[in-house]
Amino acid sequence: MSSLRAQENKQFYWRSLDELANTPEFQRWAQDEFPGGATEPDGGVSRRKFMQLMGASLALAWMAGCRWPKEEILPFARNPEGFIPGKTKQFATSSELGGVGRGLLVTSFDGRPIKIEGNPLHPGSLGACDAINQASLLEMYDPDRSKILVRREHGQELTQSWDDFAGFARSHFAGLRAAGGAGLFILAEESNSPSLLDMRGRLLSAFPKAQWLAYEPISRDNERAGAHLAFGKPLRTNYAFDRAEAIVSFDSDFLLTHPESVRYARDFASGRRAEDGKMNRLFSIESVLSLTGAAADHRVGLRASEIPAAVCRLAAELYSQAGGSLPLPGSGLEAALQQFRSSTSSSAITPFMARDLLAHRGKSIVTVGPRQPAVVHAVAHLINTILGNVGSTVTYIDEPDAMCKPDAESIRPLTDEARAGRVQTLVILGGNPAYNAPTDVNFAEALSKVGTSIHLGLYDDETSQLCQWHLPRAHYLESWGDTRAWDGTISPIQPLIQPLYGGKSPIELLAMVTGDQMTNGYDIVRRTLQPLTSGLDFEVAWRRLLHDGVMNGSASPPVMPQLSAQPISDELGRLASTTPSASEDLELVFTPDTKVYDGRFANSGWLQEMPDPVTKLTWDNAALIAPATARKLGVSHGDVVRIGAGGKSLEAPAYVLPGHPAGTIALALGYGRKFSGSVGNGVGVNAYALRNSATPHLASGVKITRTGATIELACTHDHHAIDAVGIKEIQSRIPELVREAELSTFISNPDFVREGVHHPPLVSLWTEHDYNGHRWAMAIDLSSCIGCGSCMVACQAENNIPIVGKANVIRGREMHWIRVDRYFSGDPEHPSVLFQPVACHHCENAPCEQVCPVAATTHDAEGLNVMVYNRCVGTRYCSNNCPYKVRRFNFFNYHKDTPEVAKMMYNPDVTVRSRGVMEKCTYCIQRIESVKITAKNDRRPITDGEIIPACAQTCPSQAIVFGDLNDKTSRVAKLHEHHRSYAMLEELNVKPRTKYLAKLRNRSEELRDRTFDKA
Amino acid sequence: MKTAIPDPTVDDPRVRPELILGGNDFTTVTDKVAGLVERPRPPRAWYVAFAVSLALTGVLVAMIGYLVFTGVGVWGLNNPVGWGFDITNFVFWVGIGHAGTLISAILFLFRQKWRTSINRFAEAMTIFAVVCAGLFPAIHVGRIWLAWWLFPLPNQQQVWPNFRSPLLWDVFAVSSYMFVSLMFWYMGMIPDLATLRDRAKTKVRQIVYGIFSLGWRGSNRQWHRYERAYLLLAALATPLVVSVHSVVSFDFAASQLPGWHTTVFPPYFVAGAIFSGFAMVMMLIIPARQYFGLKDIVTMRHLDNMSKIILATGSMVGFAYAIEFFMAWYSGNPYEMFTFLNRALGPYSWAYWIMVSCNVLTPQLFWFKKLRGSIPVLFVASILINVGMWFERFVIIVTSLSRDFLPGSWLSYTPTYVEILTFAGSFGLFFTLFLLFVRYLPMVAMAEVKSVMPQAHLEEGVHKGLGDYWGDMPQQHGEQGGHHRGGKS
Repeated sequence: MSSLRAQENKQFYWRSLDELANTPEFQRWAQDEFPGGATEPDGGVSRRKFMQLMGASLALAWMAGCRWPKEEILPFARNPEGFIPGKTKQFATSSELGGVGRGLLVTSFDGRPIKIEGNPLHPGSLGACDAINQASLLEMYDPDRSKILVRREHGQELTQSWDDFAGFARSHFAGLRAAGGAGLFILAEESNSPSLLDMRGRLLSAFPKAQWLAYEPISRDNERAGAHLAFGKPLRTNYAFDRAEAIVSFDSDFLLTHPESVRYARDFASGRRAEDGKMNRLFSIESVLSLTGAAADHRVGLRASEIPAAVCRLAAELYSQAGGSLPLPGSGLEAALQQFRSSTSSSAITPFMARDLLAHRGKSIVTVGPRQPAVVHAVAHLINTILGNVGSTVTYIDEPDAMCKPDAESIRPLTDEARAGRVQTLVILGGNPAYNAPTDVNFAEALSKVGTSIHLGLYDDETSQLCQWHLPRAHYLESWGDTRAWDGTISPIQPLIQPLYGGKSPIELLAMVTGDQMTNGYDIVRRTLQPLTSGLDFEVAWRRLLHDGVMNGSASPPVMPQLSAQPISDELGRLASTTPSASEDLELVFTPDTKVYDGRFANSGWLQEMPDPVTKLTWDNAALIAPATARKLGVSHGDVVRIGAGGKSLEAPAYVLPGHPAGTIALALGYGRKFSGSVGNGVGVNAYALRNSATPHLASGVKITRTGATIELACTHDHHAIDAVGIKEIQSRIPELVREAELSTFISNPDFVREGVHHPPLVSLWTEHDYNGHRWAMAIDLSSCIGCGSCMVACQAENNIPIVGKANVIRGREMHWIRVDRYFSGDPEHPSVLFQPVACHHCENAPCEQVCPVAATTHDAEGLNVMVYNRCVGTRYCSNNCPYKVRRFNFFNYHKDTPEVAKMMYNPDVTVRSRGVMEKCTYCIQRIESVKITAKNDRRPITDGEIIPACAQTCPSQAIVFGDLNDKTSRVAKLHEHHRSYAMLEELNVKPRTKYLAKLRNRSEELRDRTFDKA
Repeated sequence: MKTAIPDPTVDDPRVRPELILGGNDFTTVTDKVAGLVERPRPPRAWYVAFAVSLALTGVLVAMIGYLVFTGVGVWGLNNPVGWGFDITNFVFWVGIGHAGTLISAILFLFRQKWRTSINRFAEAMTIFAVVCAGLFPAIHVGRIWLAWWLFPLPNQQQVWPNFRSPLLWDVFAVSSYMFVSLMFWYMGMIPDLATLRDRAKTKVRQIVYGIFSLGWRGSNRQWHRYERAYLLLAALATPLVVSVHSVVSFDFAASQLPGWHTTVFPPYFVAGAIFSGFAMVMMLIIPARQYFGLKDIVTMRHLDNMSKIILATGSMVGFAYAIEFFMAWYSGNPYEMFTFLNRALGPYSWAYWIMVSCNVLTPQLFWFKKLRGSIPVLFVASILINVGMWFERFVIIVTSLSRDFLPGSWLSYTPTYVEILTFAGSFGLFFTLFLLFVRYLPMVAMAEVKSVMPQAHLEEGVHKGLGDYWGDMPQQHGEQGGHHRGGKS
C-alpha cells in the first residue's frame, strides 16, 4: 500500500476492497475465487451472493452495507484498516458514451458516490470532466430508473424477477443455440469496451448465425467513412491542438461535442497562452454557432451544405498558393479540387486560411465535424497530409473495434429482417431505438414483428414499452466493466455501490444469454483484461489498474497511413455534380444536444437546467434561426413554428440566434421524450421525428411556417426581448466588464487592461483589515474559458444545489452558484461571443455584508464572505446590493420533493439549504477546511494547488485558478499581478477577491474589421 | 361675533376667517362629532364599506397564509429583483403615514390652527397606514417565523443584529414612529373620549370609554398636564416626521445600486411622503366631510390649505426627479446615467411616466384657485397622486434592481396575483381599521376644535389667532366654554 501511496499524485485514490484488504484472507480469496466451501449459486442471485461472500470473507463488506438500510448490512467485526467513517474516498472508474471512454474519479462517502470528477491519469480527461459525465451521478440515483423486470405479453404487464428471466433465458437461448443462433439479433450501443467485445465474440461463437449490430443516433459514420476513403481503413484521428498554430475547423465542435472534447479543450487553451509564447489562430466555418465557433478568431457561418465545397476550395487554394511546393498524391486530384474554386469573392476567407496554414506547415490542423460527408473528411485528411501535419499535430490510430459497422448500416437491415419475419429474438443492449431511430425505418413497427424482444435499459423507456422483456440495466457506477479512451487506453469501470435497483450490466446479460460460467461482471472483466496486461503478476496489475483507472501502455499505437488519392478524386467528382445550389431553400441541421446528448440524459434535472452554453436555453430545445432569416420569415424569438421536412412536420419554438448562418435552422436532438421519467417527459420537441436515415445530419428543402402561437423559453440570459436602450447600454458596458484585446495589442501594450475604466483613487477611510493568515482568491482566465458550463454542474454536485424547474427558470430563480455569462458583441449576423464565469467575488469590502440586518453574511479571518444559513432570515437585501448578482435565494423549499434515494447523493459537508434562505458560492469552503485540517494534522503548510474548488477542478480548459494571495509564489497571486488581470467593477471599491484575466484574440490584422459570409 | 367672510378661503389681512363655519357653537360641535359615534347603528353604506374592507382583509390574511406556508416564491420576485411589491407597498404606506404626525405635531408647533379639524383624522390614518406598512417588511422575509431576529433582543444565539444595516435602522425608525404616533393620537383623544363617556347611554360604552379616558375629569390641573405633555410629544414627534422617511430612504441611499445610491433621497423621500400623506388625507376626508356632515368643521379652507401643501411638496418631488437626472449626468457615472435613461425609456418607462404625470403634473392644477375649490378635482387629483406615489416607489425599486451592473443578470419583474391581492388586501386592512375608527371614535378633535372657535376667546372678541404663546392653547375652554360638557362632568 505504501508503494501505492508514493504515487506522483498527492491524492490517495483507492478502490475499496482490493487495496484495503491487504490481508491474508484477501490473498487467499484472491487466489481462490470461491473460498471457504462456497459454491457458486446459480442464476440471478449470484451477484448478491457474491457481494455477501466477499464481505463476509473479508469483514469488509461496508460497501454492501452502505445503502439505505437493507438486509445486506454486515456490521464490522473489526474496523478495516484505514477506514474512517465519514471520510470520503475517491475511486477510479470510467464511463462510456458513443464508444469512447472517459476516466473518472468518483468520490464516495461511506459507500455512497457523491461526486464525479475527471481522472488526471486518463488521457481523455486529464482530471477534467464535462457536464454530462458529472451529471451521471444524478442518473444513478434517479428514482425513475427501472427497478423491476417487466414482461409485456398479450397486453399484460407482469413483474418478473431475475430468476424468472434466468429460467426463461435458459430454455429460450438453448433453443436458439441448437439452431446455431439463426434469428438471433443483438442491437447494442456502440462500444469499444474490451469485455463487451469479448462477450460479443463469445456470443457469436456460441451462436454463429446470430447478428450483432450497433446503433448510435449521434453517429461518427462520416468520420470513419472519410478515413476509409482516404486511407482504405477506418482510422481514428487524434489531434494535438496544443502544438497547432493554425487551426481550421469545418463544422466541427471539437471543444464541446467531440468525444475527446475535454482533452481538446485543455490542449486548445494551452495553445493559447500568450505568456508562454503560444497563441494559435482558430478559423471556424460552421453551420451552427458552437463553442468552437465562439472561441474562433475568425468565424464564418455557412450552411452545412456549403461546407463541403468550402473544404475543397481550401485544398485547391492551398495548391494554388503553394505554387507546387505541396506534394500531390494523385494526378487527377488537383483538377478535381479546382472545380470548386469557381466562386471566389472579396468576402471569402479561404485565401487567408490557406496562407495561415501554409505558414504553419506541420503545425496546423484542419478538422471536419461529424455532420459533413465522408469525402469532406477525406479532403481534410488530404490537407493535413500535404501540410505535413500527420505525425505531429495529427495522428491516426486504428479504430479499436475493426468490426464496427456504420450505424446507418445496422438499423435498417435489422428492421428489414424484422419485417421479413426473420428476427426471432432481438436483444437490445441499452439504447433506445424506438425513440431515436430514423423515422423511415419505423423501428416501432418493425419491433412488433420480432418474435421475442428483450431490452436492457436504465429506464423503462420508449423501446422497453414495445419489448416483451424489459430488464433493468445496472448503471456504470454500479457495475463492472471497461472502456477504451479516444486514444485506445483501457480503463476499468468499477462499481461504487451495489445496484440500487437490482440491474445487470450488458456483459452480465450476455453471460446469461451465452450461458457463460462466469456470470458476474467482475469475473468477466478480469477474464478479459488478464491477457491484455503485460508480464507482471495479474493481481498486481489488476490492483494497479483499479487504483490508477487506466491501463498503462494500452493506448493504441499511432499508425502512419498511406493516403490514396483516387477514391477521393472519384468522390469529389460525385460531390461536384451534386453540390446543392438552391440557396432559397432552408436547411435543417440536427445537432446532438449539449446537455441531454441524444436524449438518454433527458431525465437529469442538472442537465436540463444547465443552460446551453450558447443559447442559454434550459428545459427545452428550439429551432435556431439566424436574425436575417427570422426577419425574412417574419419569425421572432419564442414564436412556435411548424418545420416541414421530408413530408413530416414538427412544431418547435424559434430561437433567433445571432451568428447563426442564414438559410439554415438547427434543432437539437434528444427532447420530446415520452418515457424518460418524470423530469424529462415532454420537455422540448422530438427532432427525431424529422430525421431520416438518408438525412441523419441535414435535411434540405425545409419549410417553416408560423403557427401564431408563442411560448416563453426558459433562457437564463435575455429572458425578455431587450429594448433599444438596453442593447445600446450592453454594447457600451461589455468592453469594461469582459475585457479583451488582440494579441498584437497585448504585445505592444501589455497593460492595456488597466486602461479600461477611469475612476477616482480607491481609498479607504480606515485602516483595512490585514489578513495575516490565508487570503483566498481566485483568478479566471477569460482567454482560456470556452464557456462549456462544466463548472456549473460541478458546483451543483459539490454544493447540493437544487434544480428549480422550468417555470422557476422563466421567473429567473435558477440557483447555480456559478453562472457563465454569455455576451455577443458587434453585428448580430457576425457577432463575437464572450463568456464570463461569474461566482461570488468574495469582496473584501462586501456590499452584501453591510446591509444584512441580522449579520447572516459576514467576513471570516481569511477574507471569505461567508453565509450563515441558520442566521439568515431572507430579506434579500444582500442580493439587491450585490453588484455581481451572484446571490441565490431559496424562493421555495426546493429540496422538499427530493426522493429519499437521491438524498444519498448530497455532499455531507455542505448544508442543504431550506427555503427563505440566501445562498451563494463559498469558494468551496468545505474543501478549504478539509485541506486545512489535513495540513494541520501533518504539521505542514498548505501547498499551492492543494485546495481546488469544484469549478476549478473540473474546468476542461483550466481557466479557473484558486489559491492563497499571501503566498506570493502561488499561481493565483501571480495571476492577480498579471498584466491581463483586472477586477470587474473595481471602481466600486468592493475589492473583489476574484479577478479576471482579459481575453486575448488572435485575429489576423488585416481581417480584424472584416466579416465574412463566404468561405 | 359672527362676521365670517362668506368664502373661508379668501385671506383678508384685516380679518381672520373663521375656521368653523355654520354658526356652530360648542354644543353643536360636540353633538355633531359625538353624535356620529353615538348613533345606535351606522348607515347602511358603512356596513357595505365595512363588509368590503373586511373581505379584503380576509384576502390579505389568506395571501399571507399562502405565502408563509409556501415561500416567497409565490410572489414574482427573482434573483436580481429581490424586492418588488413588498417593499414598494411598505414605502408607500409609510409615506401615507406621514401626513398625520406632520399635521398633528409640526403644524401644532407652527400654530396652524386649521389643523385641529383634521388632525385626529389624519393621525388615525397615520396609525393605520403604519400598521399596513409594518406588515410588509415583516412578511417579505424568507423565514417569517424568524423576523423577530431583526430586533435587538437578547437571544440564545448571543448575536446582535447588524447595526450597520439600514434595514435595522428601518425597524427602529418605523417602530418608534408607530409608538409615538399612537401615543400622540391616543393622548390627544383622552378629553374627547371622556366626552363620549359622559354622553354614553349604555353600560358597555360607559365602561369602555371610561377605561380609555383614563379618569379624565377636565380639571385645570389635568388640562395643564395634558397640554404640557401634548406639547412635549409634539416636539418629540416632529423629528420623527423627518427621520422615519429619511431612514426608509437610507434603505436605498446607503446601498450601492445605481438609482438607489444617491444623497438626494432623504429630503426627496420626506417631501414625497408628505405629498402622498396629504393626498391620502384629502382623499379620505372629502367623502367623510360630505357624508358625516362635517362640512362646517372641515371647511373648504382646510382643503385649500392642504392642496397648497400638496402643490409645494409635489413640486419638490418633481424637482427631485429632475435633479436625479442631472446628478446622474453630472456624476459622469455611466451606470447611474443608464439607470435613469432606462427608467424613462426602458421596459418600465410606462411606470415612470405614470409616476411623472401623476406626481408632477397633477399637483400643478392647484396653482388655480378655482380648481382648489372644486371637490371633484381635489378628489380625483388626490387619488392620482396616490397612484403616482405608489409608482414612484415601484420605479425606484424595480427599475434599479432589474437592470444593475452586469447585463448578464438583468431580468424583468412581473408581480403575481398573490402580490396584487396582498396589496389590495392591505387597503382592506387600512379601511377596516378606518371604518372602525369613524364608527367608535371621535373623528374630529372636539376639544381642540373648540379652542380655535371664537367662543373660546370671548374676552378677545373675534378669534384673531395672534394670542400669546399659550393663549392659543385649548386650556381656556375648560372654564369658559360652558357648553363643553366633557370638561365638566
